[in-house]
Amino acid sequence: MIRIAFRILMHDTAKYLALILGIAFATLLIGQQSAIFHSVVQSSAREILEASEADIWVMKPSVETLDQTDPMAELAVNRVRSVEGVAWAVPYYQAIAQLKTADGRSKSVTIIGVDESSLVSAPRSMLMGSLADLARPDAIVIDAAGFSTIFPDAPLDTGAVVEIGQRRAQIVGISHVGPSWSGLPRVHARRALAVEMARETINPVSYILARAESGRSAEDVARAITHATALQAHSSNGFRAQTQDWIIKYSGVAENFGITILMGVVIGIAIVGQTFYMFSVENLRQFAALKAIGVANHRILAMICTQALFVSVVGFCIGIGIASLFFAIFSPQLTGGLRGMFMHPAIFAGTGVFIILITLVSCVISVRRVLTVDPAIVFRS
Amino acid sequence: MSGVCCQQVAIEFASAAGPVKVLKGVDFEARAGELTMLVGPSGCGKTTLISIIAGLLRGATGSVRVFDQDVTAMSHQELIPFRLAHIGFIFQQYNLIAGLSVIENAAVPLVAAGTPWPDALDQTRDLLNTLGMTPHLTKLPRQLSGGQQQRVAIARALVHKPRLLLCDEPTAALDGKSGQAVMTLLRELAVSPDRAAIVVTHDPRVYAYADRIAHMEDGLLVKMEEPAGSQFAASH
Repeated sequence: MIRIAFRILMHDTAKYLALILGIAFATLLIGQQSAIFHSVVQSSAREILEASEADIWVMKPSVETLDQTDPMAELAVNRVRSVEGVAWAVPYYQAIAQLKTADGRSKSVTIIGVDESSLVSAPRSMLMGSLADLARPDAIVIDAAGFSTIFPDAPLDTGAVVEIGQRRAQIVGISHVGPSWSGLPRVHARRALAVEMARETINPVSYILARAESGRSAEDVARAITHATALQAHSSNGFRAQTQDWIIKYSGVAENFGITILMGVVIGIAIVGQTFYMFSVENLRQFAALKAIGVANHRILAMICTQALFVSVVGFCIGIGIASLFFAIFSPQLTGGLRGMFMHPAIFAGTGVFIILITLVSCVISVRRVLTVDPAIVFRS
Repeated sequence: MSGVCCQQVAIEFASAAGPVKVLKGVDFEARAGELTMLVGPSGCGKTTLISIIAGLLRGATGSVRVFDQDVTAMSHQELIPFRLAHIGFIFQQYNLIAGLSVIENAAVPLVAAGTPWPDALDQTRDLLNTLGMTPHLTKLPRQLSGGQQQRVAIARALVHKPRLLLCDEPTAALDGKSGQAVMTLLRELAVSPDRAAIVVTHDPRVYAYADRIAHMEDGLLVKMEEPAGSQFAASH
């Protein structure tokens, strides 16, 4: 009977293609926009993801999200180190500063102050130069995408001298880091130098990065730090989630992407649902004939579900294929927060499940009509 | 031998003007080995009666026995395999499946009964050859004339060797010549000693193909006769 289901489905080529293309388009909208949304939200917590040596982030109670720093005094680091369960704690500094090139061009950059002794939060991947060079006076490391933004016509290279916050700096390394929420070039320097460049004099610590002792959970130690220091402490995962929640809640990205994703859902339900329903209704007489001959309802149900499942899988494969092609072609060329965006496997799977659900819901609506059709209609002209 | 025996079959339907009695106590018999025609004006209850005989329409009172099985006593679930095994249908509008070829359409009852497609197609091929459809086996229904489509419908109705054949206006959509050809084939292939055939028709030109004719009027069977000039009635 499955063969009959396929023949009924594919016989009306126009409707069959409309179904497949409708599902493919809905998949493209839902999958691609969800993946971009996911990439953008991921980028909002980029520094947390990349400072993977630390599993605890400590900050002032007023801080709600990663980019909203409220610097602390140096003394706070020692208070954190003194809490039981803390293996180590280092200061971390992050600020936005103005970079000027030798030919007078100006660009805002995110400057990240790395702990000199441990190099915690330093870039993990270097394309040129070495992290050890950060120890040299005035040394900075800049990310490759940022370098290309600042020097659009120059090949990646070290040695260029720039000015940040009226302080001379020399590029000694090119790093490879993921895109950040702000999309600004990221400059890593020794913390003391970064503080100078940002012209911060009183409170040179944005965050304290810490690690829980072996065998202690980061969440438990973070709670202990909060209790003992009156500072705010979170596990890395907790702070990442808090930052991403804040972005989703206050930045408007959820609304922007949500509307497009909703469009995909509406298109999916409208086109797929209506076409599939019409398709089943137009074939009502054929189904009624099968029922009259003696085909049981459960077999008719299996036929319609097979049709729905087949069109949803084919449509999904086309739609997700186009979305993936989009990322493969355009992702390397994008700059800022969209650079390096990709389709997370969970989005791939989630979109697939959602599309199949939409089609099955349409199928259920259609099935009701087919299952309740009076087979005696075949005797009516 | 009685193929179909209806006793005091009555049914009424709800309408805006109140309940309408469509059948008012019909006694009807169709014997095995015969082709029985059910004739009468539109709305007299012919199609309703064969729908009840087929178990497609429920809620009737009285008794309907098909080869000694009480159809009115069967549940909906029991009727489905019963129809599949014992009843063949020929419809006025053919009701072939548009996406299936001639041979596949004819094989549907076998496939529905669980026969694998290759075996079902093999079993169907000979019957379609008898019906003169061999040159058209791979064509789709829309590529056939009305008469050819009705031949496919005949093959579909007979392929699983049912004991009861129900035909609803099989010649109504055909011209006179095609109608005569279809009735000749029906007469040759459908009538056998262990099968009863009931043909609902308006078309007096095909009365001559009947063994017996049951006349219905206003929900009642008013006359059962052997048609004058029938080349078949005399043999029974």
